[in-house]
Amino acid sequence: MRIHADMKMADLVHLNFEVLAVVQRLQIPFGFKDKTISDVCREHNINVDFFLQLVQWFNERENFPQEQLIQGDAQWLVRYLHHTHQCYLNYQIPRIEKEIEFLEQLPDMPDHSARLMLEFFREYIREFTEHIEDEENTTFPYILALGNTLSGNMDLETFRKRYKTYTIDKYLEHHSDLEEKVFDLQSILLRHLPPPSSNCHFTNLLLEISRLGNDLKDHTLLEENVLIPKARQMELELNQGSTNQ
Amino acid sequence: MVSVLLAEQSYLLRKGLIHILRQFPEVGEIEILGSQLGIGEVLQHFEPDLLIVNSAITAASPDKKWDSLLPEGCRLLHIINTGLPQGAPENQLSIYDSKVALTDKISKALKTISADKAQEESEELTPREKLILQHVALGKTNKEIAADLFISTHTVISHRKNITRKLDIKSVSGLTVYAILNGIINMEDIS
Repeated sequence: MRIHADMKMADLVHLNFEVLAVVQRLQIPFGFKDKTISDVCREHNINVDFFLQLVQWFNERENFPQEQLIQGDAQWLVRYLHHTHQCYLNYQIPRIEKEIEFLEQLPDMPDHSARLMLEFFREYIREFTEHIEDEENTTFPYILALGNTLSGNMDLETFRKRYKTYTIDKYLEHHSDLEEKVFDLQSILLRHLPPPSSNCHFTNLLLEISRLGNDLKDHTLLEENVLIPKARQMELELNQGSTNQ
Repeated sequence: MVSVLLAEQSYLLRKGLIHILRQFPEVGEIEILGSQLGIGEVLQHFEPDLLIVNSAITAASPDKKWDSLLPEGCRLLHIINTGLPQGAPENQLSIYDSKVALTDKISKALKTISADKAQEESEELTPREKLILQHVALGKTNKEIAADLFISTHTVISHRKNITRKLDIKSVSGLTVYAILNGIINMEDIS
């Protein structure tokens, strides 16, 4: 199904509820009434192409719009990734932590197992927070500055002074895998832990973990296959531009 | 399950190949890339058993840096944008190949992969692997384990790969949790 800008926003959400994630992460308020996608985007100053590329991908998974996203303005991607981070840190991860805490109170959990799981997950939260802070404090501002310098909103000298040695490769050096431990947790709960009786609760925990894992996969795909190539492209453009002068 | 990474620019070709791949029940996850951008990262991350890549994409990164990133045991099929001469290698798929020819070539590749996998596939940890896991869970490095057990680091790495595959746990802290849950180490052993 081809999603187009004249489609009603409410119809789009009905078509596939997954796109709500995009709506939320671009901070578009609900109450769409009869407005079309382009109306809503215009009202909230959202780049409609970027919005369409993402929702089209959410709706047709095997068609990742890599090139279009790379061609687009990096600020939109950074904004999207930033709000995704907030969503993980403020909502999804604390929820999972609470659910694991609840496991501890179940009488038929084997000794220590819930505590172990909780410690494992808390260690993960620490790593996760560090990873995200690094992106938020260093990588994202760097990419935005690259874009601003190329568009003439920041002069080259200021940029060079600020980022004497930093390149996107520096980021890659300590770009750790965020999904790995989520999938490990899923394996431990699903395959290696005796099943507790409170199935409803346990199943819900597994569902939340799998949702986070899948979401992180998307997140990594956007970072590794759009953000990093985009940054490399801009670095190249900047270097070529400055040698030509 | 065989995981496949398909790196192909053409939407039509991708659709066609996915259609063929999906006919094989042993094919699990299929990841798609539309260009050479980021292929190194995806290879490292996704660790496919089979990489199907268009020759234009291989040509676009002539230094072939990502070639060394191919995970161990990963098979490679090339998509060639022209017809193929008689007796062309079995790992070349031409865009002019018939469905029968394509299915045949892909089926052969999948069979070798499945055979490789079946050989390593037994789910129980061996006593040796349990011993290695015990050391890993105690926080020892590959080098330390090698020295303790009088084996090469290469052997340690290969044991660790098997442990990870059997348990479906990659991180050291995940392995530690498993080791405690299964009495391979005690909670008190770790600080």
